[in-house]
Amino acid sequence: MRADRVAGGAALALALAYGWSAWRLEPGFVSDPVGPKAFPLGVALLLAGAGLYLVLRPDPDPPWPPRPFWPRALATGLGLVLYAYLLRPLGFVPTTALAVALLARLSGAAWPRAFLLGFGLALALYGLFGLLGVPLPAGRVWGG
Amino acid sequence: MDALGLLLQGFAVALQPLNLALVFLGCLVGTLIGVLPGLGPISAVALLLPMVFALKLPPESALILLAGIYYGAMYGGSTTSILLNVPGEAASVVTALDGYKLAQRGQAGPALAVAAWGSFIAGTLAVLALMVLGPLVAKAALRFGPAEYFALTVFALSSLSALGGRNLAKALLATALGLLLATVGQDPQAGISRFTLGLMPLEDGVDFVVVAIGLFAVSEVLLFLEAPQARSTLAPLGRVYLSLRDFLFSLGSILRGTGVGFFVGLLPGAGASVASFLAYMVEKRWLGPRGRLGEGDLRGVASPESANNAAAGGALVPLLTLGLPGSGTTAVMLAALMSLGVTPGPQMFEKHPQVVWGLIASMYVGNLILLVLNLPLVVLFVQVLRVPAYYLLPSILAISFVGVYAVNHNPFDLLLMTAFGFLGYLLRKLEVPLPPILLGLVLGYLMEINLRRALILGAGDPGYLFGSPTALAFWGLSALVLLLSLVWAKGRPGGGEGQ
Repeated sequence: MRADRVAGGAALALALAYGWSAWRLEPGFVSDPVGPKAFPLGVALLLAGAGLYLVLRPDPDPPWPPRPFWPRALATGLGLVLYAYLLRPLGFVPTTALAVALLARLSGAAWPRAFLLGFGLALALYGLFGLLGVPLPAGRVWGG
Repeated sequence: MDALGLLLQGFAVALQPLNLALVFLGCLVGTLIGVLPGLGPISAVALLLPMVFALKLPPESALILLAGIYYGAMYGGSTTSILLNVPGEAASVVTALDGYKLAQRGQAGPALAVAAWGSFIAGTLAVLALMVLGPLVAKAALRFGPAEYFALTVFALSSLSALGGRNLAKALLATALGLLLATVGQDPQAGISRFTLGLMPLEDGVDFVVVAIGLFAVSEVLLFLEAPQARSTLAPLGRVYLSLRDFLFSLGSILRGTGVGFFVGLLPGAGASVASFLAYMVEKRWLGPRGRLGEGDLRGVASPESANNAAAGGALVPLLTLGLPGSGTTAVMLAALMSLGVTPGPQMFEKHPQVVWGLIASMYVGNLILLVLNLPLVVLFVQVLRVPAYYLLPSILAISFVGVYAVNHNPFDLLLMTAFGFLGYLLRKLEVPLPPILLGLVLGYLMEINLRRALILGAGDPGYLFGSPTALAFWGLSALVLLLSLVWAKGRPGGGEGQ
């Protein structure tokens, strides 16, 4: 019940913010009778309707995973965000190796094995995409 | 030129050594990914899309590779349904009902073989039907104006929402989210930037691949993390072959499954999962007390497995002739086509015949490869399931990283992917179907542009949208599927394709 209510409320809030932002758009050409706002306003209405329904008629809550999941999920999320920020400065191979090792560790591998997998995968992908002609960042700190 | 001549030309395209190698590779890699529980055709195609682009193949070759991956992933899904009772994707949920029971009795071999033969026969017939029907639909669609197209997209979105899950409100919420994402960035006519939150990278809109990989692959990794130790027991495999007796015994089910599957596949919004479910139901009704469906009947595997392959063929009719994807996977295919500079639509049969007929022919070749390659190699494929989760999860993520980064070479997309990964995880927990988000995202742009063109033609009168019998028919059908879904709200399995 609660989960669906929260989700419905979030959808309503999103619909409001989105609808408001659409409402303030300037109309386009004179020849275009609807302009850039009509379609988004319709979408906002649909979203708000669906959200409202969930608030009023929620389904039973889903089974949430046991507690130890959340720190692991959080660590994964943090790892992914750090990955995005470190990719350019550190370069593809070290960053990917670290991220993969972290995730391998989180899903139950011992550290040595996790690092082995990380570096192996990172080097393989770097090589493969190098061959394909898609440059992956070499890393600013290494002068790339 | 007649369809047969064109098809022969298609075979000339499909049988070029490069393209043949690509079908082969696609089927192989697709099966490997499809065997992994939770990763179905959508994830397989989305994960490999950037690599396909990186190969800089001509459009028909790229499409052939993607179709191979799609087919392979579907077949991989049925393998795990039968051997593990873990459907790799929603289309093979019903396969597990009888398939796993057969496997427990030591009949895994015949079950896998009937799935492969059924898929092959269904695929073959579907290709034939597609060959006849495709040009006809394309011809009719040439007369569609913006009002008809708008109504048609509304119909596609309505039917995917209606069939995509148990709760219509949740499916509509997903559709709205997809459409909302489609409006981010430059407005299609006036060029005004909208809903970018002031972020530069969003000026060009939200990239489809980033959303698809986040929603499907990254969220799958999070689901895996819930219980990394969970492991099902593999049923003994035995010899993978189908005796002539079993083949003849299942042939009727294969043909019925093919018929149901193809027609379901034609409907926009009804993907392979609906087809396999419906085929199973039809089979149950048809056989009545003569069948032992649900207790380990070979025909209970043959029918849904044929249906989902036939549906994949049927779904190509609206995709190629109208540019209208009917499911999450075909939405990914459409996005791929558009990135390759090929816009599907009624003119496609004339403008890009090598793409259309090459694809149709290579689907046929793909079916054959699945039969001769996958059947003997099933033993090898299931070895993937013995690889521990701590190798698989990080590998999926690493491939996601490269794929997402390769799209725009912008780390911002990686942040976006992470956000969609968590959003996807939460939505899956709440049983909000994800495919409508993808469909909304690919169709939003076309929908808005057609709406605006229609209203310009109608001088601002909304009545213009309902002005022709064709448009009215699509509006009526949309209302019908939505109403039907409310009536049938109970007693259907949850989740859309790829859930």
